[in-house]
Amino acid sequence: MPMLRKLLLGLALSSCLTTASMAVDLTVGSSTEPAAIDPHFSRSGNSQQIAAQVFNRLVEPDENLQIQPGLAVSWTNLDELTWEVKLREGVTFHDGSPFTAEDVVFSLERADEIPNSPAPFTANVAPIASMEIVDPLTIRFTTTKPTPQFMELTGMVYIVSKAAAEGASIEAFNSGEAAIGTGPYKFVSWTPGDHYKLTLNETYWGEAPEFENVTYRLMSNSAARVAALLAGDVDLIDSVPPGDVATLEASDGIQVHSAPSGRIIYLGLDSARDESPFIIGPDGAPLNPNPLKDVRVRQAMSKMIDRQLLIDRVLSGAGMPAGQLAPIGLGGHSTSLQPDQIDLEAAKALLAEAGFPDGFGITIHSSNDRFPGDGDIAQALGQLFQRGGLTVNGVVTQPYNVYATAAGKQEFSAFIFSFGTSTPSAAPGMTNVLMTFDEEAGTGSFNRMRYSNPDYDAAMRDALAEFDPAARNRKLEIAAEIVFGDYAILPLYWPEVTWASRDGIGYVANVSEDTLATYASVTE
Amino acid sequence: MTVFILRRLLQSAGVLLATSVIVFLGVYAIGNPADILIAADATQLERQSAIVALGLDRPLIEQYWIFLSNALRGDFGRSFVFNQPAISLILARLPATLELALVALIIALVVGIPLGLVSGLKPNTLVDETIMTGSILGFSLPNFWQGMMLIMIFSVWLGWLPAGGRGDTAQVLGITTSLLSWDGLTHLILPATNLALFNLALVIRLTRTGVREIMPLDFIKFARAKGLTERRIVLVHVLKNIMIPVVTVVGMEFGSIIAFAVVTETIFSWPGIGKLLIDSIMLLDRPVVVSYLLVVVFMFVIINLLVDIAYSLLDPRIRLRDTQ
Repeated sequence: MPMLRKLLLGLALSSCLTTASMAVDLTVGSSTEPAAIDPHFSRSGNSQQIAAQVFNRLVEPDENLQIQPGLAVSWTNLDELTWEVKLREGVTFHDGSPFTAEDVVFSLERADEIPNSPAPFTANVAPIASMEIVDPLTIRFTTTKPTPQFMELTGMVYIVSKAAAEGASIEAFNSGEAAIGTGPYKFVSWTPGDHYKLTLNETYWGEAPEFENVTYRLMSNSAARVAALLAGDVDLIDSVPPGDVATLEASDGIQVHSAPSGRIIYLGLDSARDESPFIIGPDGAPLNPNPLKDVRVRQAMSKMIDRQLLIDRVLSGAGMPAGQLAPIGLGGHSTSLQPDQIDLEAAKALLAEAGFPDGFGITIHSSNDRFPGDGDIAQALGQLFQRGGLTVNGVVTQPYNVYATAAGKQEFSAFIFSFGTSTPSAAPGMTNVLMTFDEEAGTGSFNRMRYSNPDYDAAMRDALAEFDPAARNRKLEIAAEIVFGDYAILPLYWPEVTWASRDGIGYVANVSEDTLATYASVTE
Repeated sequence: MTVFILRRLLQSAGVLLATSVIVFLGVYAIGNPADILIAADATQLERQSAIVALGLDRPLIEQYWIFLSNALRGDFGRSFVFNQPAISLILARLPATLELALVALIIALVVGIPLGLVSGLKPNTLVDETIMTGSILGFSLPNFWQGMMLIMIFSVWLGWLPAGGRGDTAQVLGITTSLLSWDGLTHLILPATNLALFNLALVIRLTRTGVREIMPLDFIKFARAKGLTERRIVLVHVLKNIMIPVVTVVGMEFGSIIAFAVVTETIFSWPGIGKLLIDSIMLLDRPVVVSYLLVVVFMFVIINLLVDIAYSLLDPRIRLRDTQ
């Protein structure tokens, strides 16, 4: 009997050892769910998470959002309107068929033709006037106008297999039939609301994927994700709420991975109109002229904010004070733009100089379910402004679905918003949030302040027309200095994003807020 | 009875129409889905194309008319978020919720009725008071907190049961179920218990009150005088009579469990329709929200009808009449 037991034990142990030496599986507790498996259906972040692992792009962003060669190995401008792109050799799709220029042209043509897509890649392929296949691994693009950021735009479109995706419906992608890419992981299945599964691509052209099978369990509730990690149900979770970071750090067998994000949290000020609905005088009527039109008032408000205090108290320290849109490391970050320190004396002097020695009435608006702490930040700002000499008549927080529409209709005077940058430079944010709201020119789509500064617009146009990346970043810095010197918005902080994993699983915390199996690794 | 059922079904068509108008207007009033669904760095061009793609550029009345005329042909529109038919999204999630609700209901009845009986038969004893105090907890502890505690105790500390998700499922007659595998069952226990606790407390209280009301009645005395065993009196005569309030309330509650298991489904990451509804409201996915509520209204109408029919079977004195 003891002999038998030993034998069995030995067998059991050896079988454990053999499985351990083979590739490991990874289970992720994910806060977001894709809308569809078709990579061109939605450009929003939740859908990109799966697309970025199953498909490749011509250029791939790294963990600092800088672009690296992907399916394209090199690209050159033959002239201002012509780009020649060389494709990677020897790449095969998951079904074994070779990757060629045909697939690229097909994907780029398809990208803005997806029916009922709420977030299409239209702007990414808009610069293309024509595409010419020079040879199976070379494409020559002609653009409609000089487009220096061509690769940052068009290069970010996922490349699908022409043979598999031609005429395929969204259902064919969701079932996996048409979801044929070249990425490190192959798509297996998706059960909406529950999980999706990936498996490794043995013939991947890049660094070999580490995990045999990857399961993303869809857990939108933060407390549920943390509990699942503590219970050992999952190996890795994303979007750890700031309040839970300390608990997880103190737990045995759990590691926490944090990085500053490319998302700016800012206070928008309704500075363009003569009267703003929530900027009111002692009589309760909107002040005319609107004090927010005066840069000294905006500067005074910035000096009333103790950014570090907000971060320490509301976010448990998970953030970095901001004085501009782009964090360090992204193109357009100017080292001369430091966050304002709290200075109530200076704020008082500026208010008096602007003709409001006794302040004015203000109501602050915010969402309460968009990003961690958004409602609390608004409350804290209310107290800071009250202390700084304004009369805070209220702090109103709303669910994002109500708030976003109302803010877009200019219903607020001072409102908290965020903008996430997912490109190598801050150009999209600086274009969409801060340039003049102009439907014709396509600028200022999120300029809910309707701030308009011709000097800034000119500086931005100059920067966006620059072909040399280094020179473009310098020009973006100049534009940033103009617009933040004018206090167009009050930048508050860049939040930290946090992942947590069990011991033995490492994770590369990244600026892009992506939860990808390719960023995870086995550390034992 | 046939006339009664037909009339009920006709009335429900009116209710469905009214619901669709209210919900359609309600979701429209909340906000513009395009603002939520567009990419975070969308340009003006992209925002405009999203609005056109979702059909939101048309006047509201036209949007409603398109919805209504399609709905009459059985097409409830495609989800703004997933671009799949709204009704198929709902039907795909329905089995998970039905299964959860059914198990919760069974737990509530199987545990609640015996406890209520014991409590009612031995009033004001230590057993009765323990059960009653327990039921107060079932009523008053927030569902959300109960769920988190269940996870903390049974998943994180003891490690006996998984913290969420649906586990392995099997296909039976085209329906996905977790009832047939051990892994599926272990995933079901905690959320079902969480969902059952409130109703369990309710059933205990209803049963206890029923027993207390019926025990002093003449027919019980008569049964005793006739020499029936206590066992037969309780299990046949008392139980049958207390079932009427229990069936009514549990019937209505079953509807609520299915329609609004949102909290439990969210905490336990259960892929049911409650979670779908809350996600759809957040994203202003109007076709899904409207279709969902229509399905729920329809379900309530059917449950009410079944409860009424069950009455007449339980108590021959009740006749279903076509009341004018």
